[in-house]
Amino acid sequence: MAKAAPIPGLEPRARFGDAAAAAVEIRSAEVFEHARGVLDINDIERVHDMRVATRRLRAALEVFATCFPNKRHRGLLAEVKALADALGERRDPDVAIEELTKVANGLGAAERPGIAGLIEELHAEQLDGNRVLAGVLLGVHECGLEDRLAELARSARAEQEQTS
Amino acid sequence: MKARRVKGLDPEGELAVNAYRIVAVRLDELEALALPALEHGEAGALHDMRIASKRLRYVLEMTAPALGEAAREGAKTAKALQDVLGEIHDCDEMLPRIGARIARLRDSDADALRAAAGDGAKDLDPAAAAETPNGTHYRGLEVLSVYLTARRAVLFDRLSDQWAELEPQGFAAELLEGLSDARAPRAPTGEAAP
Repeated sequence: MAKAAPIPGLEPRARFGDAAAAAVEIRSAEVFEHARGVLDINDIERVHDMRVATRRLRAALEVFATCFPNKRHRGLLAEVKALADALGERRDPDVAIEELTKVANGLGAAERPGIAGLIEELHAEQLDGNRVLAGVLLGVHECGLEDRLAELARSARAEQEQTS
Repeated sequence: MKARRVKGLDPEGELAVNAYRIVAVRLDELEALALPALEHGEAGALHDMRIASKRLRYVLEMTAPALGEAAREGAKTAKALQDVLGEIHDCDEMLPRIGARIARLRDSDADALRAAAGDGAKDLDPAAAAETPNGTHYRGLEVLSVYLTARRAVLFDRLSDQWAELEPQGFAAELLEGLSDARAPRAPTGEAAP
């Protein structure tokens, strides 16, 4: 799992709004850095890394919610959540397959066909999840989610500058 | 589960002060949800406790560079809770799924044997039982179900022990006290900080 990048300026006495802008900028950049190769089902760590990065971004949006324009923040949080859900739908079968394979390896030949059938079902879900994720990623790209998140972060800074 | 609203947050205020307020609410939320979850071990309540520990973990991880060691330690504790709760959740997701799969296979096998007997059949030959298309599948699924039921019980006991070791009130108080250091008032210019 990729380590989270440090957020510059995260000092105890930093303004909450400034910390919010920096956190969303850094965490958002991390999500899109991990997008490459995420649909490759032979390398399940890629989807895991992007999922973790998306969770961290979602957490930043939730923790600092009060610093952003309400309506825009709510819309973007919902979009990030939809991306996280799609990544989760794709990732969950990966994890289950790994766990079931470990259990099956410890069992005798008589027990294996039942678990193999279940694993087969999960492989089908993995492919379905990948199709859904491909659609969501396309939507994320087409609607410029990355740019709009950057704009949201900027707006927190701008609002603060106006009020200070 | 919707997160409890944190009152008094101020975008113009200091990070440490705002973060402290959020952590205090998230801690309170976790403690409130842990009680029913650990008392009955019901899947829904444990799920809520998992979400609460995740929220606490993330706010602490996010703000640890500003809030210091107490936040880092608190995040580790929350992660440990979240991890075991996540493993229990996986069992809770998989067990009904196995049950549903067994039921589907059973119905499909019964339909296959019925169809093989033909429309005019007066009875079903006992030898037909050996011809169930999925006959080799049940055993593995039942064994898996037994394993996951036992594993869940082991994990639940581990969670209960982990929580008991935290002495919940002590954990919250210690964490908040540690965070207080980071939000101590700024020393006036020219004076050394206490």
